[in-house]
Amino acid sequence: MADPTSTPDDTPAVVLDNVSKSFGDHTVLDGVSLTIQRGSIAVMLGPSGTGKSVLLRCLVGLLQPDRGRVLVFGEDVAALDEKRAADRKRLFAIRRRFGMLFQDGALFDDMTVFDNVAFPMRLHTQLSEQAIHEKVSDRLARVGVAHAEQKFPSELSGGMRKRVAFARAIAIDPDIVLCDEPSSGLDPVMSATLDELILELHRTLGMTFIIISHDTAEARKVADTIGMLANGKLVTFGPAEQVFAENHPALEQFFTRATVGPIKVV
Amino acid sequence: MDKLLRSLHTLGALVMFIGQVARSAVTPPVYLGETLRMMNVLAKRCVIPVSLAVAPVGAVISLQGISIFKLFGAERMLSSFLGTAIFREYSPALASVMVAAQAGSSIAARIGTMKVRGQIDALAVMSVDPVRYVVVPGVLACVIVAPLLSVLTNLLGVFSGWVFAVPIGGIDHGAFMEHLTAQITPADLWIGLGKCSLFGLGVGLIAGYLGLNVGKGAADVGKAANDTVVSTIVLILLVDYAVSMALLGAGL
Ligand SMILES: Nc1ncnc2c1ncn2[C@@H]1O[C@H](COP(=O)(O)OP(=O)(O)O)[C@@H](O)[C@H]1O
Ligand SMILES: [Mg+2]
Repeated sequence: MADPTSTPDDTPAVVLDNVSKSFGDHTVLDGVSLTIQRGSIAVMLGPSGTGKSVLLRCLVGLLQPDRGRVLVFGEDVAALDEKRAADRKRLFAIRRRFGMLFQDGALFDDMTVFDNVAFPMRLHTQLSEQAIHEKVSDRLARVGVAHAEQKFPSELSGGMRKRVAFARAIAIDPDIVLCDEPSSGLDPVMSATLDELILELHRTLGMTFIIISHDTAEARKVADTIGMLANGKLVTFGPAEQVFAENHPALEQFFTRATVGPIKVV
Repeated sequence: MDKLLRSLHTLGALVMFIGQVARSAVTPPVYLGETLRMMNVLAKRCVIPVSLAVAPVGAVISLQGISIFKLFGAERMLSSFLGTAIFREYSPALASVMVAAQAGSSIAARIGTMKVRGQIDALAVMSVDPVRYVVVPGVLACVIVAPLLSVLTNLLGVFSGWVFAVPIGGIDHGAFMEHLTAQITPADLWIGLGKCSLFGLGVGLIAGYLGLNVGKGAADVGKAANDTVVSTIVLILLVDYAVSMALLGAGL
């Protein structure tokens, strides 16, 4: 839940300090450092398979980097080991400040759409079932799946699942919302609707968003910070206007959909 | 050598896992609703197969028993043999094996599917400990459902034995009932229930472990379910044999 009083206001939401992660001899993240201020909307671009999802997973401690620090509101998540009971408790306390939209939704198959979105509310809030009902209905209406409340995830299209997963990610008004490719699989109208919703949540609740995207229109519309990851390195990162103005070759290639450029198709 | 190290590593991981499950089962939060839901699911999945497995056993014991007992003119005693065989051996073993086959495979497949589809990670990100939320309820459900099923198999096994002994085999009903429990004590019944709980515990733990440690794809989920069934059935039969020998040795 948004609780701006719990840490000093100027502590950044997220700081990555020289983070590296390899799987076997395949280096996925190679010394990535960045700072995301609270209340900002950061969009991370990058070709498939460069480690954007790995980066998000490091933020919530689902993966531990081999090197570097991952500070969330000043606390180093990378130093916590989920297998140890004391660390797990700390980690869970930090994770409660996150909402996460997984790349493929990760909705619970054996729960209805309604129960999926209600799940974090029932676990982590004291809301009455009545209040939960209203809130879930509101969230589902905002993402345009109100009519599917009682359906199961297997009965939905990919785009609908994604929107339900977004509704679940923002269910308990987290401080930081991580969105792994929210717009892929959505039609342009739905995608624009989702962008509006992100902007509105940002404006009204002050949520911080970290969004992974391939959609350059989306990046231009919502981002106040833009980063680009390619070949394990952060090739550019900074305020959106600045990054657009500097026009890094990799970003340029991405935006113009060119096949020739620094991004190698291997 | 490499293989030995890997087995030792797995064994160590399994022991740590069991420790974590044990701690999670006795400290809050305990997800009671999930446990009840799993009990319901598992009981429904097991009740028909377990009935189909035990009914013929009672029938066969009576059919075979009558012809042998008749040689000694002792067919009135048949039911004491039937009772001992069903209550002490067949009922707990069959109930447990069916729990392994039905409950074990469905738990391993469910957890494995959740794992490969990212739902276990989703739970963890929502600050829900997957061991508490999906493993512990499955283990508790197995521990509770297995002995309940063996109560059912006790009744059904004796009933099908009775059908082939009394109405079909012509043995006197009064004699059947009189000798049914002659050779067994209340301790036998409790030991049977206890064995079922123990085997249910093993099934739940192995299914949970293999489900959480599944590989990457759908085929691995099938493998986890399959490995659960095979390893738990072998384990059940071996432990059952060991327990029976030990109890006989102890004069029980
Ligand atoms: N758990 C894992 N084990 C091994 N390799 C992984 C794992 N997760 C990701 N990878 C590898 O890391 C690379 C980056 O993956 P990912 O972050 O999913 O890319 P993307 O930028 O498309 O989100 C890929 O080559 C992938 O195969
Ligand atoms: Mg990805």
